[in-house]
Amino acid sequence: MSGIVYRLENVGFAYPGIPSSFSLKLESLTVRAGEVLALVGPNGAGKTTLLMLLAFLVRPGRGRLEFLGGDPWAGDDGAVLARREAVLLTHHPYLFKGTIADNVEFGLKLRKIAETERAARLRAALALVELEGWGTRSISGLSAGQAQRVAIARALALRPRVLLLDEPTANIDAGLVLRIEAVLREVGREWGTTVVLSTHDFSQASRLADGILYLSEGRRVEFSHENCFSGTASTDGRTSWIEPKPGVRIVFPGVTTGHVTCVIDPAAIRVLPGGEAASAPPGPNVFGGRVTRMETTDAATALVRVSGDLVFRAALPVRELEAGRVSLSREVLLRFDLKSVEVVGKRPADARKPA
Amino acid sequence: MIFRELALAVGISLKTSGLAALIASAIAVPAALFLAGREFRGKRLVLLINQTWMAAPTVVIGLLFYSLLSRSGPLGRFGLLYTQTAMTVGQVFLILPLIVGFSYTALRQVDRRARQTALTLGASRRQAGWIVLREARFPLLVAVLAGFARAVSEVGIAMMLGGNIRNATRNITTSIALETAKGEFQNGVVLGAILLVLTLGINLLVQTGLRGRDREY
Repeated sequence: MSGIVYRLENVGFAYPGIPSSFSLKLESLTVRAGEVLALVGPNGAGKTTLLMLLAFLVRPGRGRLEFLGGDPWAGDDGAVLARREAVLLTHHPYLFKGTIADNVEFGLKLRKIAETERAARLRAALALVELEGWGTRSISGLSAGQAQRVAIARALALRPRVLLLDEPTANIDAGLVLRIEAVLREVGREWGTTVVLSTHDFSQASRLADGILYLSEGRRVEFSHENCFSGTASTDGRTSWIEPKPGVRIVFPGVTTGHVTCVIDPAAIRVLPGGEAASAPPGPNVFGGRVTRMETTDAATALVRVSGDLVFRAALPVRELEAGRVSLSREVLLRFDLKSVEVVGKRPADARKPA
Repeated sequence: MIFRELALAVGISLKTSGLAALIASAIAVPAALFLAGREFRGKRLVLLINQTWMAAPTVVIGLLFYSLLSRSGPLGRFGLLYTQTAMTVGQVFLILPLIVGFSYTALRQVDRRARQTALTLGASRRQAGWIVLREARFPLLVAVLAGFARAVSEVGIAMMLGGNIRNATRNITTSIALETAKGEFQNGVVLGAILLVLTLGINLLVQTGLRGRDREY
C-alpha cells in the first residue's frame, strides 16, 4: 500500500428534498491504494451513501473529498474522469437491454477500447464469474444471481483503479460467494485495485478486508477495540487461543500459531442476563461484563456494548433483549461459539483498524 | 377526384405531418428528458400547462397562427399563410405537448438505476441521457407515432393555415371535408379509408422493425 486514493475530511451529506433526519458525517477517512476496506453496519447506517460519495455520484454537502490527491469535481465534466477510475457495483445491479456482451462491453466502448482488446476483456471477465460463452445471451431471463455476476464481470472488465461494491454477494449462491471473494482478492493482488465494499456479513468483511469501517446512523462507530483482538496464538493441537489480557482467553478451532488477529461477528454473540450467569454451563468464550451502551439499529435489532475484561459489541434481536431484561448498566454474560471467531491471519494488530 | 390529385393530397399529408412529427420530437423528447430527470420549482405547473395544451382544439391553434401569419399579423411579412410551411408549424404546436407528455411518462418509467449505472461505468452526463433514451426507445417511438397520427388526422389547422388550395395545400383531411361539403360522400369515405390504411401501415412498419430488433436480444 502506498499512495492515498481517497481522503475525506469532515465530509457531510444529506439527501436534498427528502424529509428525513438521515445524514452522513465522517470526520476523517483515508483509503490507500491496494487496500480492501469493508463498510459494515445495519440497514440505514450510511454504507450505500458513502459508496455513492466515493463513486462521485453525489457530491458532499460539506467537507473535503480528495481523490488521488485532487478535487474530483474541479473540472466542468461532472467528475467523469474520476468516475472512470472508480466503478460502483450496486446491490441490485441494473443491466441494460441487450446481450450480456453488450453489458460487459458497455464501459469499454465508452473508453474507446479497441475491438480486439474488448473481446479479450469480455472473455476474461466472463470467465472470472464463471459465465464463459454466455456473451451472446439476452439479459432477459437471467436469475438475480446471474445478473449480479454479469454486473461484476462488467465492472471487472474495466480493470478500474477502485472497485466499489455494495453488498456484492447478496444475491449469489453460497457456493459462488467464496469464488467471487477469491476473484476480488485476485484483482486486488494482480491489478492493485483498491476495493471498498459494504456488507452485512461480518465474516465476509473479516475474510476480505484489511480494514473495517463500522457505520451506524451515518456515523463511524469506533470498532478497533471491540470484537477485535490480537495476540500470540497457542494451541493444544485441537483448538487454539489468544490471551488479549492475562488469563482472558479467546478460543477458536484448529491449530494456529504466531501473532494473529481475531474478529467476532456481533451477530454471533449471545447475551444472558447476569442472574442466569451462575446456572450457565462453563466453557470457552464466556465473558462477563456490564452493558455500557445500547442503540437500536432498526425495528428488530439493537447494538449492545458490554464492557468487562474485554469490550464486546453484540447485535441482538430486540425480543431477545426484552426476554432477558437486558438494560443499561446491568451485568450480563456473553457467550459465542468457537466457530464464530474469525482468525484473520498473521497481520499486525493495527492493520485491522479503520484507515 | 382524379388519381393525380389524390396522390398529391396523400403526399402533402405525409410531408407536412411527418415533418411536424420530426420537428416536434426534436423539441419534445429533450424537454421530456429534462422534466423527467430534474426536480425544480414550478415543474408541476409546467406539466399542468402541458396537459391543458394537449386538449387544445385544432381550430384554436389554427386561429392563433392565422392571426400571427395573416398579412396584418406580426409575422405577415413572411407570406407563410396558406402554405405547407404554415400547416407544418401549426401541427408542430398541436402535437408538441402530446409528445412531451407521452415521452415524459415513458422516461419516468425507465429504471432510475439506468442513468446511475451508466454514470458509474464512466458515461458523461450527456451520454447517460442518451442511454436513458435508448432504454425507453420503444415507448418513445410510440409517442412520436401518436404525434404523427394526431397531425395527419387533424383538419382545423390544415384548413385555416393551408387554405385547402388544390394541388398546393390540400391534404387528405381537407379533401374529405371538401368532398363531404360537395355531397360526394363516397369519395370522403374512400379518402378516410386511405388515411387509416396509411397510418396503420406506418405503425406496422415501425413496430415490426422494433420487434425484430428486440428479438435479436
